[in-house]
Amino acid sequence: MRFEATTGPGPRRKAGLMFWVILLAFGCAPAAWAEAMAEAGAPPAAVAEAAPERAVVQILVSSQVPVFDAPWRWQPIRRSTGTGFVIEGGRIMTNAHVIAWAKQILIRRYQDPRLLPARVVFAGHDCDLALLEPIDPKDLDGVQALKFGELPAVQSTVVTCGYPAGGDQMSFTRGVVSRIEVQPYAHPGNRAWLAVQTDAAINPGNSGGPVFQDDKVVGVAFQGIPGLQNAGFFIPPEVVSHFLNDVKDGRYDGFPMAGVSFETLQNPAYRRLLGLADDGRGARVDWLRPEGPAARALRPDDVLLEAGGFPVGSDAMIPYRGNRVAVGVAFQQPQAGENIALKVWREGRPLDLEIKMEAYDGDRLAGRQYDEPPRYFIHAGLVFTPLSANYLDTVGQAGRDYLWEGLARLTYELHHRTVEGAGESRPEPVVLAGVLPHAVNADFDVRGRVLVNKINGVRIERLEDVKRALEQNQGARHLLEFSGPEDGPLEALDRAAAAAAHADILRTYGIVADQRF
Amino acid sequence: MHRRFFLRLLAHVAGLALFAGAAPSARAQLLHRPGWESSLVSIEVTYKVYDAFQPWNEPTRAIRKHGVVIGPGEILTTAQYLPAHTLVRVQKGGRGRWHDARVKWWDAQSNIAILESASPAFWQGLTPAPLADKIGRGPEFDLVRWRDGNLETRRVEFGKFTVGEGALGFAPHVQLEVSTDLTGLGWTEVVARDGAVAGLTTYSNGRVCGVLPAPFIRDVLKAWREGRFTGLGYFDFTWQPGGNPELLKELGLAGEPRGAVVHRAGRESDPAKAPRPRDILLEIDGKPIDSEGDYLDPDYGHLMLENLANRGHFAGATVKIKVRRGAEELAFDYVVPKAEFADETVPREIFNGAPKYLMAGGLVFQPFAQPFLRGWGEEWRKFAPFRLQYWQFEEPADGRKSLVVLSGVLPDAINLGYQDAIMLVVDKVNGRAIATLADLVEALKTPSAGGVHRFEFMPGRDLQRLVLDAATLDEATKRVADYYGLPAAQRL
Repeated sequence: MRFEATTGPGPRRKAGLMFWVILLAFGCAPAAWAEAMAEAGAPPAAVAEAAPERAVVQILVSSQVPVFDAPWRWQPIRRSTGTGFVIEGGRIMTNAHVIAWAKQILIRRYQDPRLLPARVVFAGHDCDLALLEPIDPKDLDGVQALKFGELPAVQSTVVTCGYPAGGDQMSFTRGVVSRIEVQPYAHPGNRAWLAVQTDAAINPGNSGGPVFQDDKVVGVAFQGIPGLQNAGFFIPPEVVSHFLNDVKDGRYDGFPMAGVSFETLQNPAYRRLLGLADDGRGARVDWLRPEGPAARALRPDDVLLEAGGFPVGSDAMIPYRGNRVAVGVAFQQPQAGENIALKVWREGRPLDLEIKMEAYDGDRLAGRQYDEPPRYFIHAGLVFTPLSANYLDTVGQAGRDYLWEGLARLTYELHHRTVEGAGESRPEPVVLAGVLPHAVNADFDVRGRVLVNKINGVRIERLEDVKRALEQNQGARHLLEFSGPEDGPLEALDRAAAAAAHADILRTYGIVADQRF
Repeated sequence: MHRRFFLRLLAHVAGLALFAGAAPSARAQLLHRPGWESSLVSIEVTYKVYDAFQPWNEPTRAIRKHGVVIGPGEILTTAQYLPAHTLVRVQKGGRGRWHDARVKWWDAQSNIAILESASPAFWQGLTPAPLADKIGRGPEFDLVRWRDGNLETRRVEFGKFTVGEGALGFAPHVQLEVSTDLTGLGWTEVVARDGAVAGLTTYSNGRVCGVLPAPFIRDVLKAWREGRFTGLGYFDFTWQPGGNPELLKELGLAGEPRGAVVHRAGRESDPAKAPRPRDILLEIDGKPIDSEGDYLDPDYGHLMLENLANRGHFAGATVKIKVRRGAEELAFDYVVPKAEFADETVPREIFNGAPKYLMAGGLVFQPFAQPFLRGWGEEWRKFAPFRLQYWQFEEPADGRKSLVVLSGVLPDAINLGYQDAIMLVVDKVNGRAIATLADLVEALKTPSAGGVHRFEFMPGRDLQRLVLDAATLDEATKRVADYYGLPAAQRL
């Protein structure tokens, strides 16, 4: 699966990995910090002065996730914990997954018995980072904000700090930076950014905690790989600073996406065809998202020689602070609205181009969504909601168990038709999530989990179309067509009977609102 | 996918049994004929296994199953494991010498095969077992098999009659399900009643064992012997039950629900003589269709209408279909299409000879078929790449009838940089659309500008194109074939 953000071949090969993102609790004592930092290169005396653990907080979250195939309902309250740390401006940095769907956020300062209410200021779910602030700004009085450092070198030592599972006190673990490369970010599900792998233990509950080198924060712990021992991942300073710069204007736009996929250009015949010497330079443009920023400047088989000042190799990688990472990292540097300078080889000649980077949410539904409850519309017991990754997660093991053809069709519709099906894809595919049984709809053979193609002859492009098609129909019956784009199953409802039954159905099933747009 | 019928997951319980037993004289004859040990034989099949990722490899496996003598020199068995056989042997009495046998006839869609053996010693003491004319519902059958050299006869319970696809094909036909605690079934054990073969087992799933019913076998064999077996057919349109009265009213049919609603037209049949979307199927072959999509079968009770594609006739037969189309009732002569794997974009099976492939410069291309997907193992539906699998559900937009997949890369200097370019469905080569390996051969005769062969893949999230040097391709292909021990660079 192509991650646009990555724009390189590496992550595609890793897309099958499953990541965990679990929140729990743990603890540690100050002496442990001094010892760990001493081994990481910081003098113990300085530690005693600065006591960075005083800026690390435990975050206790009560969250509630919607039921995506019964979108008016909520799952039971779930309690979880994570870690955060105080940065400049009196804010607390943590992972977005720590506070996703939060109904209540409490923070607990180091060796402080109080539970301090906090709120989310910014959540960047695409990069799994969030900023919190205490409801009462005085709650952070006396806390010295942590400073960010540079991307740590591979093989250098780092110390993680947080509240992992297994206890209530702060825990420190030490390890080395194993590698630095682009990794899929599990929280959004369809984004891949730069990440740092370490063998320092990063366990559930560490999420959002700082990773130190010397006395600086060089990362935010965020995910691991099930079954892979001694491998935790943290978000590097580059991604953190991009997020912090983004929110300076009071709004989070998200990482920009160029909408281009580069492939390696190592084959001698392909290089000759494009008029390139065998010098290891350049990656080939393989795919462009129609109407994306890159499509306005690049063409298939253009060869990218430089991006944002980084020389691009024939392995579709760039040198980056002593590492070799996917070329997509160059496109992750600008903010939305900023330009990136490119040097391209086209038709035997070099060419200088600029692309204005844009935030992209066209694949929003294909990634996991947070904090905004799902849109839905209910009529006569028929529950309509947008097809989304959250919905597929709810109804089955989407993309894993293809035995059920219907689920495969929905998976294709969500993840592939937008890329392949020019003209046939819909901005917001809608599913009939279910049918609330009532005499008016009891004869339906279609009971849900199916794409809505047309209603009363209107092609359903988004949820609003469902409402409009039903409300504007003056015929005796509503005719619903499912699946598509080919002819799929049909159902019909008596229009008057449906309208008459609607309130009764809502009452019967305890539904307060028949729609959320 | 060209299987246009709508198979419901819930099978149908059969109606009243009509079997009243054999006529007294025949019955007496059955009761006095020798036991099953003189009719039930063991069959050993050695067969070639398709290696999805190295199709030039043809490893073999061997299995043992059963057959039953049904006439002079004829052994009836299922077609399973026989299409790619290299050696077939038969044994009588559950022990002793194995005799060479030959597959006289087999048919994948009906899952029936006839074996013969030229060994006179084999036939000594064997007597034909009769195939039951009719089998009614319950309560029990005998299940007969050879086990560790001994004949084992156990009771199994009648379950239901269903209509479903066969073990090897997609043509729907009537099947029997029996329930049992016995394990290890599905190897063509005989299910018997009153001394006659009631059916042959085809699969086992928990307590349920699928059985190919004897009357169905009789019909197929009779047609085959008379030279009029044209293969099994199927309805190429897709339908849904007509249980929603509002939908029927919307489509023009008032009153009590009846009939099934067509929602997708077929692609193999004449559009002027076939149901269209929104037609209501009222009658097929003179049998009224109820709102479940069933008809009342005189032998089996209520069965899904799909069975009418093969009831009393076979592919190519003309079947009268009566539909409601808007305000009109229409009748037309529908010609039942033959169930052919080749009509599927991603064929469920490819039985015509050894697996085909073409290796060019280390790139290995194969016709894209379900056996390739099954290369991911028993849980292939879980582990085979999703996008590859999805070609089974949605045909190419340009209507091409088959596909070619780049299934692997044998590393060589000519394909440097393409080592991960696998599991891609080919769209064009040198500008020519590719549906078959023959297309690919033709396309490779005319390189693209720049002295390269240009391979383009279906639009999607994976690699879109690559090129190979045209001038050195033949030399590289030979080199790769030699280096990796391919018996030939291509098998078309």
